[in-house]
Amino acid sequence: MPGRNAALYLSLGVVLVYCAVALFAPVIAPFDPFVISGPPLAPPDAAHLLGTNDLAQDIFSRLIWGTRATLILGFLGAVVSVVMGTTVGIVAGYYGGRIDEAVMRFLDVMMTIPFFPLLLVLTIFLRPGIYVTAVIMGLLGGLGSVRIIRSQVLSLAVADFVVGTKALGARDGYIMARHILPNVLPLVGVKFVTSAQHFMLVGIGLGFLGMGDPNVVDWGQMIERASKNGGIVLGLWWWLIPPGLAVTGISLALAWFAYACEERINPRFQVMRV
Amino acid sequence: MGDALLCVRGLKVGFPTVDGVVKASNAVDLTIQAGETLALLGETGSGKTVLGMAILRLLQPNTRIEGEILYRGRDLLSLPQEEMQKIRGREIAVVLQNSGTSLNPVLRVGDQIAEAITLHRGLKGAEAEAAAVELLERVRIADPARMAREYPHRFSGGMRERALIALALACSPSFLIADEPTRGLDAVTKHEILALFSEINRGRSVLFITHDIEAAATLATRVAVMYAGEIVEIGPVDAVLSSPAHPYTRGLLESLPARGMRPIPGSAPSLIAPPSGCRFFPRCSCSVGRCETEHPGLVPVGPGHCARCMLYD
Amino acid sequence: MAFGISVTIMFVILHLMPGDYITLYLEGIYVIAPPEVVLAYNQAYGLDRPLIDQYFSYFLGVLQGDWGYSLSYSRPVLDVISEKLVWTLVILLPATILSIIAGIAIGAYSGWRRGSKADVTLLNGMIFLRAIPSYWLALMILLVFAFYLDLFPLGGYVSLSALDTGIDLLDVMNHAALPIFTLFFFSVTGTYYLMRNSMLMTAGEDYIVTARAKGLDDMTILRQHALKNAMLPMVTRVALQCAGMLTGSIFVETIFSWPGIGMLTFEALQVRDLPLLQGILLMDTLIVIVANIGADMIYPFVDPRVEVGSDARA
Repeated sequence: MPGRNAALYLSLGVVLVYCAVALFAPVIAPFDPFVISGPPLAPPDAAHLLGTNDLAQDIFSRLIWGTRATLILGFLGAVVSVVMGTTVGIVAGYYGGRIDEAVMRFLDVMMTIPFFPLLLVLTIFLRPGIYVTAVIMGLLGGLGSVRIIRSQVLSLAVADFVVGTKALGARDGYIMARHILPNVLPLVGVKFVTSAQHFMLVGIGLGFLGMGDPNVVDWGQMIERASKNGGIVLGLWWWLIPPGLAVTGISLALAWFAYACEERINPRFQVMRV
Repeated sequence: MGDALLCVRGLKVGFPTVDGVVKASNAVDLTIQAGETLALLGETGSGKTVLGMAILRLLQPNTRIEGEILYRGRDLLSLPQEEMQKIRGREIAVVLQNSGTSLNPVLRVGDQIAEAITLHRGLKGAEAEAAAVELLERVRIADPARMAREYPHRFSGGMRERALIALALACSPSFLIADEPTRGLDAVTKHEILALFSEINRGRSVLFITHDIEAAATLATRVAVMYAGEIVEIGPVDAVLSSPAHPYTRGLLESLPARGMRPIPGSAPSLIAPPSGCRFFPRCSCSVGRCETEHPGLVPVGPGHCARCMLYD
Repeated sequence: MAFGISVTIMFVILHLMPGDYITLYLEGIYVIAPPEVVLAYNQAYGLDRPLIDQYFSYFLGVLQGDWGYSLSYSRPVLDVISEKLVWTLVILLPATILSIIAGIAIGAYSGWRRGSKADVTLLNGMIFLRAIPSYWLALMILLVFAFYLDLFPLGGYVSLSALDTGIDLLDVMNHAALPIFTLFFFSVTGTYYLMRNSMLMTAGEDYIVTARAKGLDDMTILRQHALKNAMLPMVTRVALQCAGMLTGSIFVETIFSWPGIGMLTFEALQVRDLPLLQGILLMDTLIVIVANIGADMIYPFVDPRVEVGSDARA
């Protein structure tokens, strides 16, 4: 397939642009996202590139600031999820036996409780800010990573180079860090990207259901406001469409990036028996 | 010697990979007469299987193939796909290596054989079923009627090998390719399978691919030795095995347990960038100066016996 | 068994949380709740009793069908949920079945013809579709098909005229079309991915070469030999996807105002009706468990290597 590298760099480029926008939000956004910046429900013009919402807040500025929330939800969640998934997965897969058994049983049970409804209930109780939300998502979502990494480690733990190192008297911690971790890193990397994408969608979905952190601007809450307060009925596309496009853009970039990486580390090209 | 049934001319096979093209077969010429059994000897990675699969056009679609494979005067490599499908199974059949994974695990063994019978012999339902049972009986599977209704995981290694042979024989092909049929079998089972082959080979042309010299000696009328994608020696079985001409063939024979078990030093060369001169040169004990730069051709060393070596040039 | 453990875990999670649901609920009604009201609610819901007591009565209650009492509906939770469950199934079942059939068919074809133009196009299309958030997809479909093109109703499950004429099947189907369509798109990508991957593995198997060597044509090999093998791992995976469908239905039902469990979830969130939410979570869990048990029961019948009654899976 030609253009696989192009897809890789293009998607990475898009992600970096989002990061830059998040970082320089105060510079780029013309207005404070919370202040009244003009008449309410104004259509786009030179001052308000995407018009204003029903509270007379500048939609473009809110869109720019919303990038921060999205990236925090996605990447912080992914860090938590991947760190937990990798640590528990390696320990369970490496030691096997009772530890592994206990971890797997626990996972089996937890996996029957649907992720998103559980997240909703926890959110209602804890009313977390955006950071805590990201951590909760990471912990719940990391359960799936544990399983994947553990099964990879399971086969590595009996690989010759690991058994050999063990025979040389190396400590378990050393083997896990030096021999097993590097071997699962590519998998962890891909998992990180797909988790980040997933958590962004979930985090924004929470906002859309009215469970967002009221102290930050996020695209989910923007879509919720727009669809609840007349965005659809009045056909105010500049209010409804941009935040959705923004989520779809980063989600698409991450999905493509993950796919391109996966193809690289696991090309699945099979040369037939020679 | 009868008429040539299959004639391979200048066959080159290359697999594109990320590291470069693996040249698994380099200008191979080979003729198989009607009714003879030709053993293709060589180590793993020498290109034997590729040659067999190339004849049936079963290599991956992105494989680069050059040359001609004439079967009864028709070039198989340029046949349309539908014509090739009519030849597979009916004219030329194959017993694949890895008998453990070559049967479909979710289909009954009898049905897998009956499928080929229905396809090529037009027998349907119960008739095809009965023919399949008959075939299983012919390859000496005990209680064939019951075993035909079983799934492959109920079969032992030797039984799976037999089932694969039955499948290959389903339409009485005139040419049979057997790819390492004795690999991974214990000594007793191996001898049973070889005995079965010597029975079914009668009146049929067979390309018997193996790394097992003993099996080749039992079954073959002629032997071809492959090394790094080339045929390095070919001739009547007695001549090649009793007075081997090529240093590689000699090395192979000396590595047998009965003859001192001396392994050939070094390892097989990369097929991506093979040695420029003689491909065996880096490991050869009797190399001369020009072996490094000149690529030797196949030269006659006896009646019907040729070797690819500078010693006879 | 699994359900029992899940119920326990849920109880633990809910009671580890700071605050309790009465306080949370009353916050929605009063600025500062009068202490006597709090006390009355606490007694009514048994929150003044020891935890272990609460646990056993909760557990037994759940088993006997007493899933608590909805604060906002003033009705037993199980009643409310089972009433809504029917409506969720009306859109969830067709969407699931359609997406499984379509996902398996195109995933199998895509994987079988790996690297072909059709495969690359399908794969890129699916990556694209999968990256679109379900709520966004639902909104856009609503906007285009119901608002601009006016082909389907904007929401609800029956037209207003149903007040006079009673519920008409065609009318319901007309309302259900867009939600089903959206849920279908939401879940077909997952099935497609799994099937394509599974087919990639299967296409490299030795028995496929055997089938080719028999002289079978490409499509026959796909149908007779590759498809069944590639579908085996799907049985378990499709059950796992069930949880994803439930999540999707929360958004889809909310956006299309479809009166099922998903919209009930949204309503419960709005008024912070925790017993109801808890009940929904329990029902969702139950659905996932039932789907998994179903998959485990079907598996031995499709894979001859697994004996019926044993749970070892190849």
